[in-house]
Amino acid sequence: MSIDVPLPLIDVLTLAARLEAEKNFAFADRLLRRALDVAPDEPDALHLSGIVDFRMDRREEALAKIERAIAHGVDIRLYLRNISEVYRALGRFDDAVAAARRAAALAPDDPVCLHNLAVIQYHRLELDDCIATAEAALKIDAFMPGPHFQLAEALLLRGEWARGWEEYQWRFDLPGNAPLMPPTTQPRWDGTPFDGGVLMLIADQGFGDVIQFARYIPWAATLCPHIAVAAAPEVVPFLRQVYPQANVFTEWRHAPPFKAFRALSGLPMLHGTRPDRMIGTEPYLRADPARVEAWKEKLDRLTPRSKRRIGIVWAGRPTHNNDRWRSAGLAAFAPLAAVPGIALVALQKGPAASQASTYFGAAPLVNMGAEIGDFEDTMAIMESLDMVVTVDTSVGHVAAAMGKKTFILIARAPDWRWLLERSDTPWYPSVTLFRQTVTGDWSVPMAAAAKAVAASQ
Amino acid sequence: MNAPSSTCPCGSGLRSERCCALQLAAIPPAEATRHLVPLVERAVQAYQQGAKDVAEQLCLDVLELAPDRPGALSVLYSIRKEQGKAAAAEALLRRLVHFDPNNFDATNELALLLMRKGALGEAEIHARNAIRIAPQAAQAHNLMGMIMTEAQRPRLGEYHYREVLKIAGTRDPIVLANLAWCLKNQGRMEEARALYEESTAAAPEIRETLLGWARLEEADRNFDSAAEKLDRLEAFSPNDPAATLTRAVVLGRMKRHDEALALLDRQAVAESAGGGIGLGATELSEKGRFLDQLNRHDEAWAAFVEGKRLAREIGGNAYLDPVADNLISRLRGFFMSGRLSLLPRAGVRTDVPQPIFVLGFPRSGTTLVEQTLSAHPAISAGDELPLINDIVNIMPRMLNSPLTYPEALAELWMGDQRDGLDNLRDYYLQKVAQMDVVEPGASWFTDKMPLNETHLGLIALLFPASPLIHVIRHPLDVMISSMANHFTHGFFCASALETAALHFVRVSELVAHYRNEMALRYLPVRYETMVTNQEETVRQILDFAGLPFDGNTLRFHENRRYARTASYAQVTEPLYDRSLYRYKHYRKHLGPAIEILRPIIERLGYTVD
Repeated sequence: MSIDVPLPLIDVLTLAARLEAEKNFAFADRLLRRALDVAPDEPDALHLSGIVDFRMDRREEALAKIERAIAHGVDIRLYLRNISEVYRALGRFDDAVAAARRAAALAPDDPVCLHNLAVIQYHRLELDDCIATAEAALKIDAFMPGPHFQLAEALLLRGEWARGWEEYQWRFDLPGNAPLMPPTTQPRWDGTPFDGGVLMLIADQGFGDVIQFARYIPWAATLCPHIAVAAAPEVVPFLRQVYPQANVFTEWRHAPPFKAFRALSGLPMLHGTRPDRMIGTEPYLRADPARVEAWKEKLDRLTPRSKRRIGIVWAGRPTHNNDRWRSAGLAAFAPLAAVPGIALVALQKGPAASQASTYFGAAPLVNMGAEIGDFEDTMAIMESLDMVVTVDTSVGHVAAAMGKKTFILIARAPDWRWLLERSDTPWYPSVTLFRQTVTGDWSVPMAAAAKAVAASQ
Repeated sequence: MNAPSSTCPCGSGLRSERCCALQLAAIPPAEATRHLVPLVERAVQAYQQGAKDVAEQLCLDVLELAPDRPGALSVLYSIRKEQGKAAAAEALLRRLVHFDPNNFDATNELALLLMRKGALGEAEIHARNAIRIAPQAAQAHNLMGMIMTEAQRPRLGEYHYREVLKIAGTRDPIVLANLAWCLKNQGRMEEARALYEESTAAAPEIRETLLGWARLEEADRNFDSAAEKLDRLEAFSPNDPAATLTRAVVLGRMKRHDEALALLDRQAVAESAGGGIGLGATELSEKGRFLDQLNRHDEAWAAFVEGKRLAREIGGNAYLDPVADNLISRLRGFFMSGRLSLLPRAGVRTDVPQPIFVLGFPRSGTTLVEQTLSAHPAISAGDELPLINDIVNIMPRMLNSPLTYPEALAELWMGDQRDGLDNLRDYYLQKVAQMDVVEPGASWFTDKMPLNETHLGLIALLFPASPLIHVIRHPLDVMISSMANHFTHGFFCASALETAALHFVRVSELVAHYRNEMALRYLPVRYETMVTNQEETVRQILDFAGLPFDGNTLRFHENRRYARTASYAQVTEPLYDRSLYRYKHYRKHLGPAIEILRPIIERLGYTVD
């Protein structure tokens, strides 16, 4: 596509904004560059071009343009709102919070500015501020899902689960979230027991969430014995283990008729779970003995038998919205690799698995990732491991739900489920948490984990 | 309608279509060109009478019409060989053997030519053919003995030399000297010395014999005795370049580098004065190494570069870029985790000693690691075993496949080839047993064939429980060492700095690929750590292999075992860190290599200072 007829700038910007919304970044980029050739200091063009740069992963360029847009100012509060997001993505939280504060001051009636500020405050673990800001946003727009969800995360992280669970419901209304299930006229289950009909549970969110909340299925079954679970194929083995009578299916066309439905992640609320009122803290997953034998034979071949075997995972699923902060990278595991008498067993899957080929540490590392087909393999390997050290990802839940000694390394502002400060977790007795003290810096928790591994002979 | 043809780039004087681009379908049946027979006879006659121009023209005429005529190929080959046109001579000889496969002399000649240029695998094929053609010919067995000795299978070489003695019924002094050299390569120094004595008693003035004997004494660290043999040689062959080189090597090992250098310089002057070209490729590399020892780095580099240039010019060996690229990209394509999950693994034998693979680019420190490990009572030194390469070559036949390696591994999915890997594994282990490298009581042996990491995937299929010790060294130090030495591994990559760097990158990326796609019993070991913290590294390796530590391994330089590769002189000395980061002295010469290697240097955890 090419444009030969000169357009008025306002039309160019309107068109570019539409293209950006349609994710046609390349074309929007070309258009805006031409506009900036003609009007290099035009703030709206600079701002929009910066947004497009950000979308195309040119973060430094994005920052430079939006900073210039602010300097030449038109709609400064919008620019500030957006630049705070760019700062946040770059890990510049001080700049991010300053920009978000200025934006909120300039536009005290804009709930989006307040929501952005709340998100940044969560990242800075300023939870009182975060809650106050989210509540301020909700005063302006009581039905805006973002601030509700931010409020939920902050409350849950502080252990205020009763109110937290309520606010947590708003996650289904967040923009961009896929619908939980096809449209239905059946009601959402409210925890009331019934017998004549099927309770449909949806194994929603990440694999780790499914593993963590699968413990509630036997409890739900005491209220409604006929249970069906809609799930991704990967997690089916877990669901079959916790409640073998459940009708687990992976495609909606195989769904049975049901009387009520509920997301699996909604069960803690119905159960009334509190940090001091947990269920399912006994190990509830186990490996298939035949597979355990096969993997043990393989591990005995590949790692010296005299060594303690430590399973490791250094990155989560890259599409997770917080992956940048929860994934560490294999290089960060160097202190662990220096512990004598151990062998590292890499359980990493996905794109980050290729970091195994750049490992030259002292402890031998065997890269099992390439040969792991599914979670049942992962569980089978666990049986031959002495312990697991992992970032906050699904394999940690697998190990923990099996009762395996597990060290989980978590970000400074962690997922709500790990609560604050404590090194244990009410969810899994065999887990020890190692917390970042500085955002993005794994050296402190990793050194502590390595020391604990060395001491746990 | 055809474009005008040009003469073949090999230099034969024939058109390409009648030479290296010859298509078999274009060859007329023999009876159609029978009238050419008298021309061939005239060519042979002219050649014998010294009328080489006439002979040459006649051959070109005949081969234009009948490119497969053995007589004409044979005469033209002789002419080109005399003219020093190595590429043309080789092409003609190959064609002669191809069209006249029962030609014993030509087959022998080809085997010899290939051996001299370092293509030992191919040389072996033709030497075996020569024995098939004439099983009672001493010459064929002698050639097989030489090739096997060079190919580091001296046990096999010894067998064929002993066949020569049996067939001839006499103790020919040259065969005795060959056998002595073969025994020296097995570390059987006393037996070898006795044979040299017997050989020189019968024929005191044979240059190669005395040279070999001097090298034996040098390797056995009897430097005075080595000098005495060289004195004997120079008594009847003054200013012998090989004697000078050996004398220089001996001086070098006695750390008298200045004298060694002076000797080579005198030699260069004498050679040039006599109309010669000065020092040869090997002498230049040796000279460069002495200069390096004396910290005269720029002069050393100049000698290395000149040595490489001469080696390329004389040997005609350049990096086989497309061949290497093709194999490596096919290996990457074949060894994928999805396919590997469907392939069987060979079973692990517990009844015979098992290999520990010491992997690495040539000049990375694999010899040092092997010498250290083999000082352990449970580990024998297997040296550079050519067996993985053999398996690569025989795989299509063993697996009954129409495809070559690695695609031939697809036969493992056939019902009748499920145990194909076990058979290949047993081939390897049986050859090892024949080579007699494993000492009594040892449960492991090392295989340190450089660049075996190219076949890491295959090795892991064949020996899924064998430790894979990968010796890693600063790539720029490896480059310096590749420039200072001549080796043929890696598709002749070391014929120039840039191609050595390119091959290093290719193999490093291939290793990373294997590590990503397979669960391997793989341990990377840094040469630099081995030198600076030997005990820790040795403990790490032994621990990885599941063996207890043994103090002997720290005194490996007292291990009298003779390692026959270029590194032997270094590993018979205690560890020293002179070899660390030598590249810094050559930084300004390494620009082109740094450009190629930079990403790999970083990935391996090194920097360029």
